[in-house]
Amino acid sequence: MGAIVESLHVDFALARRNFDVELSFGLDHGLMAIAGPSGSGKTTLLRTIAGLERPMRGRIGFRDESWFDSERRIDLPPEKRRVGMVFQDFALFPHLSVRDNVAFGGTDRADEMLERMRLRDLQHERPVSLSGGERQRVALARALATNPLVLLLDEPMASLDPALRNEVRAELRDLLGEVAIPTLLVTHDFEDAAALAETIAVMADGKLLQVGTPSELVAAPRDGFVASLTGANVIKGRARAAGDGLSRVDLDGGHTVYSTDAAEGEVDVVVYPWDVAVSLELTQGSTLNHITAPIDSSVVFGNRTRVRLGPVVAELTSASSERLGLEKGMTAIASFKATATRLIPR
Amino acid sequence: MRWFQLLLIIACAVVVAFLLLPLVALFLRVSPGDLIAALGSGVALDALIVTLKTSAIAHLLILGFGTPAAYLLATKRWRGHSATVALIELPLVLPPVVAGIALLSVFGRLGLLGETMDVLGISISFTQAAVVLAVVFVASPFFVRQAIVAFEGVDTGLLEAARTLRASPWRVFSRVALPLAARGLATGSALAFVRGLGEFGATIIFAGSFRGVTQTLPLAIYGELDQDFEAAIAISVLLVLISAALLTAIRWVPSWNPFTLTSR
Amino acid sequence: MTKLAVLVAMLAVTGGCGRDGAEAGSRPLTVFAASSLTEVFPELEPRARYQFAGSDDLALQLREGAGADVLAAASLNYSAELHDEGVVGQPVVFATNRLVLAVPEDNPGGIRSVDDLSAPDVRLVIGAEGVPVGDYTRQVLDNLDATAVLESVVSEEEDVKAIVSKIALGEADAGFVYTTDVRSAEEDILSIELPAEAQPTVEYTIAVVSESERKTEAQDFIDLVLSDEGVEALEAAGFGTP
Repeated sequence: MGAIVESLHVDFALARRNFDVELSFGLDHGLMAIAGPSGSGKTTLLRTIAGLERPMRGRIGFRDESWFDSERRIDLPPEKRRVGMVFQDFALFPHLSVRDNVAFGGTDRADEMLERMRLRDLQHERPVSLSGGERQRVALARALATNPLVLLLDEPMASLDPALRNEVRAELRDLLGEVAIPTLLVTHDFEDAAALAETIAVMADGKLLQVGTPSELVAAPRDGFVASLTGANVIKGRARAAGDGLSRVDLDGGHTVYSTDAAEGEVDVVVYPWDVAVSLELTQGSTLNHITAPIDSSVVFGNRTRVRLGPVVAELTSASSERLGLEKGMTAIASFKATATRLIPR
Repeated sequence: MRWFQLLLIIACAVVVAFLLLPLVALFLRVSPGDLIAALGSGVALDALIVTLKTSAIAHLLILGFGTPAAYLLATKRWRGHSATVALIELPLVLPPVVAGIALLSVFGRLGLLGETMDVLGISISFTQAAVVLAVVFVASPFFVRQAIVAFEGVDTGLLEAARTLRASPWRVFSRVALPLAARGLATGSALAFVRGLGEFGATIIFAGSFRGVTQTLPLAIYGELDQDFEAAIAISVLLVLISAALLTAIRWVPSWNPFTLTSR
Repeated sequence: MTKLAVLVAMLAVTGGCGRDGAEAGSRPLTVFAASSLTEVFPELEPRARYQFAGSDDLALQLREGAGADVLAAASLNYSAELHDEGVVGQPVVFATNRLVLAVPEDNPGGIRSVDDLSAPDVRLVIGAEGVPVGDYTRQVLDNLDATAVLESVVSEEEDVKAIVSKIALGEADAGFVYTTDVRSAEEDILSIELPAEAQPTVEYTIAVVSESERKTEAQDFIDLVLSDEGVEALEAAGFGTP
């Protein structure tokens, strides 16, 4: 095929309790996020690349450096692989100062990293007196100070105070933007992945399901799983052709919707919350699909509100929600276009 | 549940009283003046020197071999792992006298290695080397056991992080595992040292008792008991004080709790 | 292996550190006796309970209030002292013993006499000062004008049985013990007689403990020891009788 060998190439199979982690991909440059539910094998993937886990077979390496090759019996220990890793809980050495932590792998680039990550004023502090965001920066500086070929981040947002997430995430995004080496990041939160990375690979049960940009994944999810991971409504139903180029889908639970996708038989119906409008009265408009149901829940986050009625979740501005006086128990109408109704065969 | 709390307090008070009373009685038996005088006596001083010398050497051996052994047992697993640990803990449950006999069976003139040692011109019986061996045998499990727990208590995530930071196995041990396990190691070390100080049964069987050579503090107490009771008490008090001081000194070693980033 | 068994048996019987307290109820007669009497006494009166140790050790225990009924010591000194303090009644001499020089049966040190003990690298084990056998040993050496031999001492034991065990195990080249100990050690020890003129007077005394609550039984025991039956048992074991 004449394919260029990507800088980081990963191809292995490793047995886990319920499934095998089996994947093959490459990363040339930039940042790729691996998104998937807990237990899908994401952390195992990173640990295997770092050399902390040994696969049954496969090849892992960077350009012409071979870190693991089952056929050639190569298995370099972590200390011999030029991999920088940021652990989920940061794993900072509690008995060492920030400076000694960053300089642990070597003192050459320590000062530079302290400067880059704005840690110079904190360099004599111990990890215990740092905030979550500061610890993250120390972990990052420490990993980068060893001049690795690849940077791995395991759930970088997981051990942070939820209240500060947005702030830290923005900061992290900027910092990662300056990193020149290929970076792999795993997370269970699609929103984090979409915010931080240009490319996202969806992972479940040890396998990669789909790789693409965030908008590609949201717009064209390969299956219901990917769709639900990216935050879409996924409703089961049975489809059949209905004339006018439309399909009619009878949803489990009783409602009927139409879609511009062609499909027959059992399908996942995918509708994005922000494509769903909510009203109190049925009006004549361009939307074909209406679901009338009592409101089950209404959740506010910031200036947006997610309202669940019947099988569908709608996302609207909080202002609109208040204007309509939407409350739990009220009957309302969710409307969305047939063109916004995707069908994915099951 | 007030009665339950009361029960707990009573039980605790009983334990403390039972352990404290003999010690207090010991101190009350002799006046500080007699104490100092008796300590200055030849027997006490000779015994102190013998004890300090043999205990120091024994302790270096225990730490030198015990620390890496404990690290291996704490960080790796293999087929005979639990058997190895059980073996190391064996001297803990062995009556010291039996330990002495066991040592004789190996290093004694007629023991397993006796002939070999004879040929090499090495003779251990009745020497300070024998005292050192006896102390190492009975005291090392106290250290190794505690050391294993201390190393196991170090967050493996930290050890792994060190490896990804290019640290060789030696560096992972010396710069991460060792400092973080320090408190546990110090505790084990103090326990082993104090146990070694008080070693009697194995020593008297294996090394004999001779003033200035093999007569350690406990052996001196035994020897002086029937001749100079005051001196025996004085030496006993000395042993108690040394032991207490060591056990208190542990608190100065920083302890790193794996669940927080703080040191207690 | 037999040597090991011998050692374990001796230690089990000697059990130097036990401090027996008085027990309520019908307990058997408690006899504190010198280690040398370990084999003889129980054969003579199996129903009594014995504590064998160095006589100095026994004296200490009695002074501290241990509950015994009879004291049989290996010297006159301790009993006399205790009698003066009122701890025991009038002591009576009931047996004598002889000191011998003992060596392991293969005699690794090639010892044939007291003079051989001065040779370099000889490992001599004797009793500590204050322990009857230790004091007797020093007396003998003094009588023989051979105190230089003490240079060869590598260990001073608190109990004559401990000396015996070290010789039996082949650890010591030689030691001074009682002739009765050699007999009870069977084949593992050889003894070398000492000149009769140099022998100290090794006298065993027996007395009733003043605080005993069974004085009559205690006296019965003493009478048994002094009787023909007692004399026969003692002589069979190698003791002399006054």
